[in-house]
Order: sequence, then C-alpha cells, then structure tokens
Amino acid sequence: MNKYSIGEFEEVVMLTVAVLYENAYGISIKEEIESRLERKVSVGAMRTALNRLEKKGYLDSEFGEATAVRGGKRKRYFKVTPLGKKVLQQVMETRKQLWDSIPSVAFDFKFG
Amino acid sequence: MSENIQISPPKLPTRFLKWFCNPLLIEDLEGDLSELFVERANKNHFKAKLKYILDVLLLFRPGIIRSFDIKNRLINTSMLRNYLKSSIRNLLKYKSFSSINIFSLTIGMAACMVIFLFIRDEKSFDAFHEKNMYRLCEIQSFPGTNTQKVALSMPGMGPTMTDQFPEIERYTRFWSWGSQVIRRDDKSLIAERVVGVDSTFFEMFNFNLIHGDRREVIGGPLDAVISKDIALRLFDNIDVVGERFDVDDNEYVVRGVMENVPKNSHLQFDIALSVFASGNEVEAFNNRFGSNFLNTYLILNKEADIEALTDKFPAYLSRAMDNPDINEIYKLFLQPLPEVHLASMDIEHDYNNYRKFNGQYLDVFVLVGIFILIIASVNFTNLTTARASYRSKEVGVRKTIGAMRRQLFNQFIFESVLLALIALVFAIILVTVSLPFLNNLIDRQLSIFPFLMDIEFIPIAIGITLILGIIAGLYPSLYLSSFKPIVVLKGLKNQEKKSIFRSSLIVLQFSLALGMIVCTLIVVEQLFYIKNKDIGFSKDHIVLIEMNGEMQESFNEMKEELLNQSNILGVTASGQRLGNNFHQWGFKVRQDTGMLNLTPSNVHVDYDYLDVYGIELKEGRTFSKEFATDDGLAFIINESFAKELGFDKPVGEKAGHGWYPNDSLGTIIGVTEDFNFNSLHYKVNTLSMVVHTAWGYSEMSVKINGKNVEAALNEIENIYSKFVTDYPLQYEFLDDHFNELYKSDQQMGSVITIIAVLSIFIGCMGLFGLASISIQRRIKEIGIRKVMGASLQELMILLSKGFATMIFISFVIASPVTYVFMSGWLENFAYRIDINPFLFLIGGAVALLIALATISFHVIKAVRANPVSSLRYE
Repeated sequence: MNKYSIGEFEEVVMLTVAVLYENAYGISIKEEIESRLERKVSVGAMRTALNRLEKKGYLDSEFGEATAVRGGKRKRYFKVTPLGKKVLQQVMETRKQLWDSIPSVAFDFKFG
Repeated sequence: MSENIQISPPKLPTRFLKWFCNPLLIEDLEGDLSELFVERANKNHFKAKLKYILDVLLLFRPGIIRSFDIKNRLINTSMLRNYLKSSIRNLLKYKSFSSINIFSLTIGMAACMVIFLFIRDEKSFDAFHEKNMYRLCEIQSFPGTNTQKVALSMPGMGPTMTDQFPEIERYTRFWSWGSQVIRRDDKSLIAERVVGVDSTFFEMFNFNLIHGDRREVIGGPLDAVISKDIALRLFDNIDVVGERFDVDDNEYVVRGVMENVPKNSHLQFDIALSVFASGNEVEAFNNRFGSNFLNTYLILNKEADIEALTDKFPAYLSRAMDNPDINEIYKLFLQPLPEVHLASMDIEHDYNNYRKFNGQYLDVFVLVGIFILIIASVNFTNLTTARASYRSKEVGVRKTIGAMRRQLFNQFIFESVLLALIALVFAIILVTVSLPFLNNLIDRQLSIFPFLMDIEFIPIAIGITLILGIIAGLYPSLYLSSFKPIVVLKGLKNQEKKSIFRSSLIVLQFSLALGMIVCTLIVVEQLFYIKNKDIGFSKDHIVLIEMNGEMQESFNEMKEELLNQSNILGVTASGQRLGNNFHQWGFKVRQDTGMLNLTPSNVHVDYDYLDVYGIELKEGRTFSKEFATDDGLAFIINESFAKELGFDKPVGEKAGHGWYPNDSLGTIIGVTEDFNFNSLHYKVNTLSMVVHTAWGYSEMSVKINGKNVEAALNEIENIYSKFVTDYPLQYEFLDDHFNELYKSDQQMGSVITIIAVLSIFIGCMGLFGLASISIQRRIKEIGIRKVMGASLQELMILLSKGFATMIFISFVIASPVTYVFMSGWLENFAYRIDINPFLFLIGGAVALLIALATISFHVIKAVRANPVSSLRYE
C-alpha cells in the first residue's frame, strides 16, 4: 500500500484548495465543493478535514484579513504544501495506472 | 438598526461553540459561521438561525472539541495534596496544640448543634396546622384584681364573630373536660384528656386521622374521635369506626381514629367529643356570654388586616353582650398560632398549652451558642498566631522557592478549614453520644439522626464550618504569610512585640466566659430562691388525688378513715389546685355608700383547708363546721383583698358572691396573710375563699408524713380502693406540680450552666496553650533571672501577672453588661432576688483562680527548671 493514505473527501478538499489558490478559506472551499460536486458539505465535516490535513502536513494555513460580516474574525487561508502536492500526484498516478490496466473489453458494454 | 440586529448570529450557540471549541480553531471557525449566517439570513432569517445551530452542533465532534486541560488540574491537586500532607505533619508534630485547637472547636460546634436541635424542636410546635390561625385571648381588667391576659374565651364568641366578620373564615372551640372513665361492655379505662370541640376542629388542626373523614368526624353531639392508643386499649384494634363506647350515661360512636397527638402540639388530648356532648342546646350555647371557660381558635382569610379587625372588637363585644361598658373589663385580642407555644408566658388561665416555653430563652440560647463559638475560634486564632515562629522557616523556604503570599495565605486557610472539618466530625460524634444524657436533663427527645439524613443540614453544617475555619484562620494566615524570607531564614527572631490583638482576644474570651459564670450564679440563686421562698403555705408532702364521682359521694367517710392512718397528717379538698391563678368571679361587699362589686380570684375549699396547708390567719377565724352559715355564707379573704376593700376591720363585714341577692349576704370571717397561690412570676392576686359542700371538690389534698412516704402512699392506696372500685388511684405531688411551673426557667438555667462550664473550659485550654508558648519564649530570661538570684515567688508573680491583668480587664468589661442583662431576666419574676455584687466577685475570683491554676503547670515547670539547661548554648 501507499505510505500516504488519503480519503476521497480529503482529496476533494485538497484539490479544491488548489483550485482556489489564493482564495481558499473555509466558506469559499465549502461553496466551491458544493457547486462543483453538487453535494452538501457541513462546516463541521469540512473543518475537521482541513484540520486533519493540516496536521498531516498536506495543507498549510495562515490568517488573512478580517471583515464585518465575519464579526471581526479573521479568515484562515489554506494552501497545498509540496508534500500535499506529492500526495495528490501519487493518488492521481495510482488511479492512472489502474485505468491503464483495465482491459478494453471490460467496459465494452453491449446493450440489446 | 434592525439590520444590525439581524446579522448577528444567535448568542447561545456561539457561547456553546466558544466553550467547547479548540482555541486554535475558534477564530476562523466563528468567522466562517458568521459569514455563512449573514449570507443565509439575507434569504430567511429563521432558517439561518436553525442552520447556524445545526452547524454548531455538527461541529461538536472530535478534532474540534478542545482538550480539556487536564494538566492544569493535576498541578492544582498535587498542590492541595502537598498542603494536606504538610497540614497533617504539622498536626501530628505538635499534638498538644492540635488537640487543643480541635477539641475546643469540637466542643463549641457540639454545643451549637445541640442548641440548633433544641430550637428546631421548639419551633416545630404546631407547625403542621392550618396557616392564618389565631387564638382568641382576652385582657381582663376586673375591678379589685390585677389586670391579666387570659387564654380563655366565652362560648358565644367564636360563632357570633364568624357570623359578623367576613375576615373570619371559621372557628373552633376547645373545651377541656379532664379525665373521664370510658366503658365498653365490661371493659373500662380512664382517658386522661377528654375534650369537646366543634365540627370544624379537625379541618383546622391537621392531626393525623388514620380512619375517618376529617370533615365529618365530629358531626353530631355523640360523635367521637379517639386516639390510636385509646382504640388499642379499648378495642384491641384501630379500625374501629362505627364502634360504640360509654362515658357517664351517654353512648358515643367512634367516627374517627387519629394518631396519638404528637408531643410538639400545644393542644393535647386522647378523645375529642363534640362541645355539645355537654348537653348544651346548640342555639343557646352558641350565643352564650358571661363566663370564659374554653379556648377559641379562628382562621382568618389571607387578606384580613389583624389590626383593623381587632379595632372592631369593642363595638362587637358591647353589641354581643348588650352592655356598653363591657369594654372596660374585656379587651379581645388575637394571638397567632406560632406564638401560642413560645410567647404565652404572660398569659394566665392557659390550661391547654402543653409544655409552653419562654420564647425569649431561644434568643438567649442563640446568643450563648454564638459566644461559645467565638470562644473556641479565639483559641484557634491565638494559638496559631502565637506559634507562628514554629513555622516561620517553612514560610521562608516556601517563599524562597517561589511561593506567592497569596498561595501561602491559601495554604494556611486550607489548614484551618481542615481543622474545622475534623472538629465537625468529632462534634457530630460528641453530640450523638451526649444527647441521651442531655435529653434527660432538659426533658426533650432531641435526635441528630434525622438531620444527618437531611439534605439541607449537611451543606449548612459544612458551610458554617468552612466559614468558621476561614474566620478563625484569617488573622493567623495573614500574619504567617507576611514573613520576610531573609529575616526568618537567617534565624533572626521576629521582633517579638506584645500582641495587643492576641491579648484583646483573650479579654473577649474571658469576658464572655466570666459573664456566663455570673449569669449561672444568678440564675441558680433565683431558682433556689423560688424553690425555697416562703410562699405562705406548705407545699411539701402534699399528695393530690383527683376526685371522681364515687369519691365525691364518699368524701367524708373516706376522709375520716384516712385521718385514722398513722402517716397521714391531714386531709382536705378544694375546687382548684394551687400553683395557678384561681378563677375569678364576682364578689360584693356592703359599704356605707352602697354595694361594691369586685372580681377577685376565688376558690372553694373544705373546712380545714387553711390548717392542712398551714396558711396563716392575720385576723378572724378559720372555717368551722359548728357554724351552719360557714357553708356558703362565710368568706376568708387575703390581705391584698382586704386592702383593696379598704375596711379598717374587714372581719364581720357583709359580703357575698356576685350573684347573691343584696338582702342575703354572708360575712367575712377571716383575713389570711398573703400567700402565693399563683406562680412566683406573678404578684399575689386578691383572693376570696369559701366553703360550698354542695358544689363538690375537684381534688383531694392529703398531707403525709414526709419521713415515711412509702407507708403513707400505701395507706392511701388501701383506703382508696375500699371506696372507689372502677377508677385506679392516680396521684401527684404538689411540689412536682410547682416545679413544673418553673420548668422553662430551670431548663434555661441548665443550658446556661453547661455552656458556662464549657466556655470556661475552652478558654482555659487556650490559656494553657498560650502560657506554654509565652513561657517557652521567656525561658532564657527566667534562667538569667534565676542565676541573678530571683526567688521562685518573684518569678511566679512575674509570669502570671500578664494573664491576671487580662482576667481583671475581662471582669471590668463583663460585669456591667451582665448586670444589665440579668436585671432584665429577673423582671420575669414578680418575686426575685436582688443581684448581689458579691456574685460578681465570686465569678471573677473563680475565673482568675481557674486561669492561674491552668497556667501554673507551665509556670512552675519553667521556674523550677535548672537555668543551666536553658542558658547552656548562649
């Protein structure tokens, strides 16, 4: 098995953080995932995932600016660390290898 | 503005979030949530709120919840454990001081607990009845007699007042009929306390009914409620509703069975019948005025204004009794039920008031309890402060290592609280052990066990203990924690100035103790005075026997036979018993100006009453069978009454009962010395005595030979059983009855005595400890003085002088306060001692002697020690 284990939701979160690049904070990540994947994400689930990923060293975070709608609280911006990138790449590669290994007849569905 | 309010997220969930959330995550999380909320709130405020709450709840998950910082707590408990350890080591190291401290606190707390139990018991009186209940009482100002408060009222008052005043919801009367023989088939027994009540009685007084409906148990004149005890004795069963029994010639039906009346009820009875069982017509009885012979209780509605109601009584009374002048004699007032037990000491003719107690004494007890606690805490404060030098090194080291003053202060407070808690445990044990003995002394059934189970008692007890520990430890803790590490660690003794604070605490302690000693002496002297005062007749060796029907008939034969016995010195009888005020009724004398109507106390007696009781005649003669007119037409009055009448020579004047026609009056045949037929709380009232053989007597008085009581009682028993068949002999000694009159005072005396002894004891323990410390400190001085040639005597005086001065100051402070306080107490007695200044000297001398004896142990030890041992290292 791979030494970097990562769940599907975690992968989605990390990819989204990467997509958003400099604008990846709690709400924007949540909304991005919700709009792209058309699924509901709770603040709690997402925050736990972000937290976990940061602890593993795949994400890094720093405080940004505070705004009035946030009740004067600062945003925490996330970005993917080099380690994170490596993990994502590895996941992607694993998948790719798997795709490549599928015999062509396997998906040759005949209807009728 | 409303915009602003709308966009702020709900407070409560936010607070919850802040509480559980990991502080590292809280800021941006809160920001995110609030941003989301604002966005959602723009669409639907209510939904946004719900979602917000949901989000917060969903955040309550591992990874977000902060770790509840266990590390900090570990430090705290280990510090506390350290305090505990060093406290216990200190306690064990200085065993004598620890035991003095703990022991004096234990005694103080135990005394307070007993006082608490006693007060709770007294306050529990009548607490279980309906609220808003009042007893109707009267202030009577009859001509020719002392003004008096009376618990009795007239039968017509209850019903007519309830009719006329909307404030009064209901009434019941309570009419005591004494003991009666009750029969069922061939079984008979004596019910000692039979009473007549109204149908409302059991609805107003919540005595526990085991069987029967409280609204219906006293419906008709032949209905009865009996106690469980009577039911068991008469029927061997308690489910006896519907059963019948006889009293005299009437047959009564049991409608209810009640639990035996509890001891904490001022009304006591075994059988309750209807007031109309007396054979009175309802209509006539409910409108009967004139004589007061029963108790009336009223329940007022909640809005009733007592004062306004009382103001309407005079108009009512003159209307009801059809006499505009009646208010000069009677003034009605309402006594709240809770006061009946505790505030009736000035009320006379108070026959249905079981174990009534002087409520003021409860305040005295509270005061005395506080005093003994102060005395005990002073011991703690003083000893701990005086011993400060023993612990100065510890303080120094702790401070050097980095302890803050606050922490040290906390440590010492912790120690004193710990000590107080230990004392609490001991106190509970001590109370448990000593209560049986105390119950015996003060005639109560106090128990601490119900309180130990009580959810309220334990926190209160612990709370008070904590406060006590903190107060007692406050000064020593401040003092100890103030040491400067360099000074104490270098071994420099703190500048040992004389502590005024400590001395004044000792003065306080001994003032209280001394005051209580003197109080005890005065109380004891007054009680001794009461017991031994010449009250004008002999109350010793008189046996009282209640006279029932059979005895009435055979009174003369019985008396004759009794007088033939060798150990019986005299036999007489009367309508009322000595020791209470006698009933008052009208008395008239003919004067030059016309008839004079007065209302003295009256008692009807047998011919030889004055001889048997040894009542001295001043003028005239005693009753004699040789004069036919002596039966009903001859009066013997007392000196006070003679003065009131104003005759130069009252003997021979025409006089009679109020209802005698003016043309058939009797004669005053004698005047007696004043004798105290009432308790010594009251002045001697005016009195008239008369013989009425036809009225029958209520009680026989037998004077017996005091040297041979046993034999005399046997003789009475024998003769009694010859004449009376179905009524066993029941007797009482008159002096027992008199002791009962001063029971409240005697119990107060016992309590004060015990507390005084305890407080001087605690004070001396403290002194013992202090003496040991202060002498220890001067051991070198003593050594040097001895070397220089001081004599033992000189040294002893030197060492005792300081303590003696403090006792003297206490004496000066305590004496005037005690004097004022005790003068107030003596006001309770119409006959009292003058406070003897000598008693104060005795009290002071006793305190001084005890104190000197206490410290002498240390003084003598120090003085006799070899100076070499104390000076060797210098």
